[in-house]
Amino acid sequence: MACSSITYEEGIQMSSGSDPPRRSGTNGDETAGSGLEAGGDADAEAVGSEMPDLGDQWTVDDLDEDWERRAVEMLEDVDFDTELGVELSRDALRLAQGELTRAEFNEKHHDDVYEEFGVDERPTTEAGGIEYESSTRTATSSADGSPLPSVPETDSRPVPSRRGILKSAGAAAAVGMTAGLAGCLDGAAQSTTADATSGEDGNDVQLGMAIDMNHCIACLKCVEACKQENDTDRGTHWMHVFRYEEDEFGDVTEEYMPRPCQHCSEPSCTYVCPTQARHKRSKDGLVLTDYDTCIGCKYCEVACPYGVNFLGKGEPTDKSPGFTGSATDERGETVGGPPPTGVMGKCTFCVHRQDDSAQRGTTACEDDCPVDAIHFGDMNDPESDPRAYLRENDEESRFSLLDQQGTEPNVVYLGTEPTKDAEPVDGPYTYEDLDMETLAESQNGGDGE
Amino acid sequence: MSLDGKTGADRVLQPLTSATKGHFVLLALLALGTLWMLFAWFVQLRGGLMHTTSLGDWGVSGGVPWGLYIGAFVWWIGIAHGGIAISAAVRVFKLERFAPIARIAEVLTVLALGMAATSIVFSLGRPDRIFNTIVQWPFTVHHSPLAWDIAVITLYLVLTLTYLTLSLRDEIYEIRDRLPYWLDPIYAVILIGYRPEESEKVEQLLWWLAVAILALVPLLSGGVVPWLFGLIAAQPGWFGAAAGPSMLIESLTSAMAFVVVTIAIFRFAYGWEDFIRDAIFRDLSKVLALLTLATLWFVVHDVLTGAYLAPHHVGDITATMVSLPFFWIAVLGLGAAFIYLVAQLLRPSLFSVGRLTIASAVIAISILNKKVMFIVEGLMHPSIPPLTNLYPAGFYFPNWVEWSLVLGTIVVVGLGFVVIGKIIPMVELEVVDDDETTPRMGDPPLTDDSSEDATRPDTEVN
Repeated sequence: MACSSITYEEGIQMSSGSDPPRRSGTNGDETAGSGLEAGGDADAEAVGSEMPDLGDQWTVDDLDEDWERRAVEMLEDVDFDTELGVELSRDALRLAQGELTRAEFNEKHHDDVYEEFGVDERPTTEAGGIEYESSTRTATSSADGSPLPSVPETDSRPVPSRRGILKSAGAAAAVGMTAGLAGCLDGAAQSTTADATSGEDGNDVQLGMAIDMNHCIACLKCVEACKQENDTDRGTHWMHVFRYEEDEFGDVTEEYMPRPCQHCSEPSCTYVCPTQARHKRSKDGLVLTDYDTCIGCKYCEVACPYGVNFLGKGEPTDKSPGFTGSATDERGETVGGPPPTGVMGKCTFCVHRQDDSAQRGTTACEDDCPVDAIHFGDMNDPESDPRAYLRENDEESRFSLLDQQGTEPNVVYLGTEPTKDAEPVDGPYTYEDLDMETLAESQNGGDGE
Repeated sequence: MSLDGKTGADRVLQPLTSATKGHFVLLALLALGTLWMLFAWFVQLRGGLMHTTSLGDWGVSGGVPWGLYIGAFVWWIGIAHGGIAISAAVRVFKLERFAPIARIAEVLTVLALGMAATSIVFSLGRPDRIFNTIVQWPFTVHHSPLAWDIAVITLYLVLTLTYLTLSLRDEIYEIRDRLPYWLDPIYAVILIGYRPEESEKVEQLLWWLAVAILALVPLLSGGVVPWLFGLIAAQPGWFGAAAGPSMLIESLTSAMAFVVVTIAIFRFAYGWEDFIRDAIFRDLSKVLALLTLATLWFVVHDVLTGAYLAPHHVGDITATMVSLPFFWIAVLGLGAAFIYLVAQLLRPSLFSVGRLTIASAVIAISILNKKVMFIVEGLMHPSIPPLTNLYPAGFYFPNWVEWSLVLGTIVVVGLGFVVIGKIIPMVELEVVDDDETTPRMGDPPLTDDSSEDATRPDTEVN
């Protein structure tokens, strides 16, 4: 990460005038060190003292064999291509001395940089125009609020952005952290490019929902549709509709709030999982459970503030024809449909539909909603159904549920957030009340009160 | 208590070579209890966790996903510290007067750790997959508190087993000819590669091991175990920085209490009043009084912060906590035991090992109660507003399967002691030979309350 941003910044600085770039003191060392490599500033500073400090006196001729040997030593400590680092560094100085133009510099190593880091955002004539202003740093304040500068990702290690942890870890440390925290996410996913966090090119899909509470009539069609589609156990409510009363200085209103899994961007359930069974699929941001790995410790259930987890009871209702979708997703992991007994399950955003080209982009609850309250789609795509719906209704108030918990939920509600004094009201809101559920094997006798 | 010229070593070794009728009755009872536990576990495995226990899902169902099993897990982890606390007192801090009870306490540590792990297995929906946690450990240790727990508990178990085995080698070697021959394979394993010259090195090793294990105590009961709860932002009943310190104190309290109960039972069963002397109990009672007071002090903090202008969701939990009878039973138990402990310190005539044992048992059980309450209360009012009031409040009371399994772990510890007591000497022979028995043989018993067990030595020897 230090690579693209710092190289770039230096580049801007270098090209900004005819003055020789400042290279006095440690600044000069940094130009030589971190200008090359993603190893980070800390590394560069740590070994920088071994480099002779020539102040402003550096010329291309100073980059002799001795210099190269020391540079190679430094660069060997980082994970990226040493040779490329040396070459980039050499040419950076030539650029600074005016022997190369920026465009030449950028183009000369474009292929290698792209190959090494999977991304090269430095403008080249080939990529169409030179717009130096669009520094990679803008990606740090991208649409999803990710605090991280763009980090080149590899196929096996998509980078999460656990706020708090990474925020306090320096840029250099972040590279190291990545390896560890990647464990929370799905390791086998497709690569996403660094600027994908901005969502502008649609590479980084984050499925989510916009739910219009003002439309919801608590008919529970979504709940029933979910039950039929996913064949969940008795008493298991992957989709639930809260019915409650708000008393505002004597004015009592009744409101409804459907609650699927929020498929958080910072899911606390994946962080606590001791087996990586609960994971976030990087392809589309779904939070899923690998039914073949889960040990049923219920830690995810305890760590989730939304109460969406239900341990498999092996007791489906007879209201469903049985799960007919594919339980296995494209990666070969068992993540769809009802979980086996003793294994944790929750709303999957109908993952079997997302992997089926005919049904992609739909969920059972959305399909069956008679009042069009549920809008499902990619929250990073401005053209998606939920984003468009949110835009069309931009005068309505909106909220994310329990936003202060730091889970960054991907369900946006239109309407007023229930207050702490919201009183749940009795009503037909259980399956039993609606005669939507009967016990398949009644002799099993309840769940052990 | 005159025992016909038998040396202390003779009396410590006697249980290894002979057994009383009482021993077989106890063995049979404990084995039956263990079988019952296995039956209950079989029922749970066959029927599924959610069917056969009163655990449920929180949220719409108003259940409690963690209950008695997790409470028992935390409790056993705490008790496991008793052994090392005593051993460290002897070895690192040179408090030689506790030496006679060190071995019993060390065995307790190993057994308690085993039961902690067992309690976790009971709590799993798919215990057959438990090794997934080990397979995935390198990838989860960065972020999952459960992975931290697995690491520290495993380390603790390995260190204590090593410690126990090393401390046995010299002794077993010296008395091997007096040990039952049919257990030879076990002794052969303990003595693998033994050379008499190793004693000095082993002593040094033991010292360092004791230090290392001691360092693990705050990391385990004051660290990774409370972090299982204290780091979970979704549960306001658990979240907080004081979880570590308060749980460490509670754990040490239950550990000391359990040690008192265990050594009292051994002393009673084998008539070891002259090695495990009253002075040891008196010392332990002082430690126990202090720890119980600290536990109560944490309770006061807990209730006050939750009651005085507390945020809505925290206040809710505290209100529930103080409305639950089990909470007051725990506080009452601790309070009553504390009053007795202080009274017998101020007025030595009130002291008796029997009373102290009862007080200790009350403390140990109260702490188990308190730990279960801590877990369950939090889950009865999980999450934060508005969800905490939109979901029904949880309800939980353990059913017969859960009681059988958790009480079963206590039975298994009893069984473990009865069996291990027939394999290794439960008091270090060095201790009995050196300073206790030899000069005092033939003297009147040193206990000042021997009336309750004056008749027992006759029935003991057969």
